[in-house]
Amino acid sequence: MGIKISRRKFLQTASLAAAALPLSRLARAAEPGLVKKPVAAPGSFTGTETRYGGMCEMCFWRCQLTGKVRDGRLVKLEGNPKSLENGSSICARGNAGIQLLYDPDRLKYPLKNVGERGAPKWKRISWAEALDEAAERLKVIQKKHGPHSVALFPHGASAFYPLQYFEFTGTPNISEASFYQCRGVRDMAYMSTFGFAPNEDVDMANAKVIFLVGTHLGENVHVSHLKQYLKGLENGAKLVVLDPRFSAAASKADIWVPIKPGTDTAFLQAVMKRLLDTGKYDQEFVAKSCTGFDQFKEAMAHATPEWAAKTCDVPKAQLLQVADLLGANLPNVAVHPGRHTTWYGNDFQRSRAQACLTALLGAYAVPGGLIRPKGVKLGAASWGHGVFAQDCDLSKFWPFHPPGTPTDAIRETTLTAKPYPIKAWIAWGQNPIQTIPDQARTIAALKKVDFVMVTDIMPMDITMYADILLPEKTYLERYDYVKTGMQWDPAAKPQQFVAARMPLVEPLFEGRDSVWIVNELAKRLGHGDKIPVASIEEHVDKRLAPAGLSIAKLKALEGIFTQDGVSPYAPAGKREFEFDTESGKVELFSEQIDSNDFAGSPAYVPTAEVPAGYARLVYGRSPVHSFSRTQNNIWLHHEMPENPLWINDRVAAKAGLKDGDRITMVNQDGVKSRNSTVLKVTPGIRPDTVYLAHGYGSMNPELTVGKDQGIDDQSLITLFGIDRETGATGMRTSFVKVVKDGRTLEMMV
Amino acid sequence: MKQYGMIIDLEKCIGCHACAVACKAEWEVPADQGRNWVQRLGPETTADGLASTYYPGLCNHCDQPACVPVCPADPVKMEFKDPKSGAVKVMEVAATWKDPFDGTVQIDKNRCLGCGACAEACPYGARYVNPNLGEEGKADKCSFCVERTALGLAPACVQTCLAGARIFGDLNDPDSEVARYVKRGAIRLESDAVKIGPNVRYYGKKRDLALLVASCAPKSMPQASLRRIWLARMFKPVVKGVKKETLFDLFG
Repeated sequence: MGIKISRRKFLQTASLAAAALPLSRLARAAEPGLVKKPVAAPGSFTGTETRYGGMCEMCFWRCQLTGKVRDGRLVKLEGNPKSLENGSSICARGNAGIQLLYDPDRLKYPLKNVGERGAPKWKRISWAEALDEAAERLKVIQKKHGPHSVALFPHGASAFYPLQYFEFTGTPNISEASFYQCRGVRDMAYMSTFGFAPNEDVDMANAKVIFLVGTHLGENVHVSHLKQYLKGLENGAKLVVLDPRFSAAASKADIWVPIKPGTDTAFLQAVMKRLLDTGKYDQEFVAKSCTGFDQFKEAMAHATPEWAAKTCDVPKAQLLQVADLLGANLPNVAVHPGRHTTWYGNDFQRSRAQACLTALLGAYAVPGGLIRPKGVKLGAASWGHGVFAQDCDLSKFWPFHPPGTPTDAIRETTLTAKPYPIKAWIAWGQNPIQTIPDQARTIAALKKVDFVMVTDIMPMDITMYADILLPEKTYLERYDYVKTGMQWDPAAKPQQFVAARMPLVEPLFEGRDSVWIVNELAKRLGHGDKIPVASIEEHVDKRLAPAGLSIAKLKALEGIFTQDGVSPYAPAGKREFEFDTESGKVELFSEQIDSNDFAGSPAYVPTAEVPAGYARLVYGRSPVHSFSRTQNNIWLHHEMPENPLWINDRVAAKAGLKDGDRITMVNQDGVKSRNSTVLKVTPGIRPDTVYLAHGYGSMNPELTVGKDQGIDDQSLITLFGIDRETGATGMRTSFVKVVKDGRTLEMMV
Repeated sequence: MKQYGMIIDLEKCIGCHACAVACKAEWEVPADQGRNWVQRLGPETTADGLASTYYPGLCNHCDQPACVPVCPADPVKMEFKDPKSGAVKVMEVAATWKDPFDGTVQIDKNRCLGCGACAEACPYGARYVNPNLGEEGKADKCSFCVERTALGLAPACVQTCLAGARIFGDLNDPDSEVARYVKRGAIRLESDAVKIGPNVRYYGKKRDLALLVASCAPKSMPQASLRRIWLARMFKPVVKGVKKETLFDLFG
């Protein structure tokens, strides 16, 4: 045999002797019978079987997938080429789904906490033991304090069935992060204006102007949505972005308005007043399809460009430029309704303003406007409606609240037992530690209740507080969601699709699906005779039945059924529409809102000013993460291991801070960030604002990749707003100072 | 002769990192490495205003690849065949070479020593040593997914890109989309000190390209490469002309 020499030594030794190494290797390679590690990856197309019917849940857009499987192992996820939405594209998170499936830190078995909440010691138990104990403890609580003493925090497709079940048992105390800390404000505002929730169904692909109010597309990634956005830009749409930060979207914008945080409604009012003053609004649409015009006009009268320019800290000329651009291109203007819209606690009015602006521009059911995609009618299979005890509804103070109960009302009721005790918290796919502001109060509530049950896939910060912790199957191992919709480009040939989530691989460990778990609980809680479906497969089949489909039929169709659809555009020239509002028209002024003692036309409600020496903490999305859910994904972690704090270059210079500095933060209440992060010094953010991507800095030590990586923005949000109309949580309302080397630094504007 | 190349259209790229992650899955790249990568640049002030863009990087399959001549593996005669014309060309190559028919730079992982000289030589940092391959690791990098394109599939990064921001094709074909991008001004990421003919080009707004070049164009050829080149030169004449059998006899 030749000379054995290590690679390192070879690299270190630049000599002829070392050069002899390759020859020895060559000789050894030729030796027969030697078992060797593979020298090259074969590629996902070699020796794999393609499985169809996958549906992503790395976020909640639910792109359709195929999986490449080799020897039972999923090696790659790809977009299903049959998909009318994402096609063969998926995002970074979608591609990284396999690292969730095979994450060694996954929850594998039912666990019982034999330590303390927050400092758990886990004991592996059987499903029967876990369900018996959970049912027993829930039964005692429900019997003693009533069914409404159980609160549920659901998130994701699998949480839908448990949500229906607990509502059926008689608790209204269900709070979805996707409503109360995200979309609920927007949906209720558009419901009150147009009579329907807008989703993000705005036709950017065929717009002449795209108007983003804080929406940071590119950092917020949903595949088909971004395809629409990019097609619009490619077709020459002008892009206007309101954002205190030079966001991913701002970097592509024709007009970037670095607006003062919290003042968007003032800007929108002034834009609408300008349109009214110049007559550049869709007069025919307003006359035929809207109501409350006179009161609306009066409510906008105060919003002069001078006032708004001062209020929003933007140049008056820029404001007028935006208004005139919108007016000149009506009705083909995409006024994006936003997605995460719970910002300041004045958000219902801002979302109302976006809806009214859409109406004023006549941007409805036209290319570029707000549209209502038509999918295929699906069936339902659910628990019956719940009967709530009298006076147990905590949401009554917020007449325009989205379904469920405002999160803060549940937490405060839990802590005060007023007007009644809440004694059990159940989290199902939601991580309330990192979704709700003021973590200390959330933790206090979790420690106060008699029982905490959590169902999840990964150890999260919330799972540390569980008494009983149940593992769910991942989206790659289970059936559940049924999706319908249309082709991604509204102007293309109208098509519709139905897809159902189907497993791509055999389940690992002891994870179960939510229908099985809930049914087993229900049997133990005396609801065995009311179970609507025996299995998740039956649930899916019942959803599919009205479309003439079944799991078996969809499988034969490579996971997706398609048929001819309907154009989302009204016939050209049609300006009269009926809407599902009280008046049957778009409500520029709403009697219903007005009669509840709120402003009937969009009103600007100022948010608290930034105290001297502080900066406002604003947060947003990272394109490679879905909040805290994906922090432990080793591929995604590699792409963005922490969340840099954006700070204005002039403010940084005054504080003696440099790009790349390692920093921590302290907020207005003296709460310090648990972790540090890196500073990003840039002219691309307002001096009064600092910015972090949300979801980082998880604290669960069982997250061997994600723990303590970056700063948890939610840990610093102790001052928060509650939206008066909806009860949703405004979270851009806390203020921070940067701390470096133990010194707290003044943020001097 | 073809010269495969890739255009990154920064007007479309939204910085989602799907390309980097899809490649990881496709080629089983270790979690802490990448055959390709995305860096966010800016916001920074440029002569044309505030700019923020991305650096989606990968192997440039250069006209004069710095990685090829440094490979110390003993050269062998290798036959290349143009799949289209059937033309055949025989070259003497080490464990990495530039393909005479499609212009891609490839690695023979069977003969790669895993020494990492090529990784050190690349001014773009496009190569790394994958420790999971072979006994002591193998050099790895973007192959332009020629293994996929041979089967009619798009490169993994191109297939997953929702933006259509990665365009793959033959730069020598004037009718190709990539060639049209070159005509429209797609630039090479190079500097006065580093001009080795990268065949990945970037297209975008002037201010974004200015930021990209200022932040990411390599400023010098890696120092280490000189040592590798010397080593390779010392080594090659010894091997040349010596038959394989003799080598086995020597060391076997």
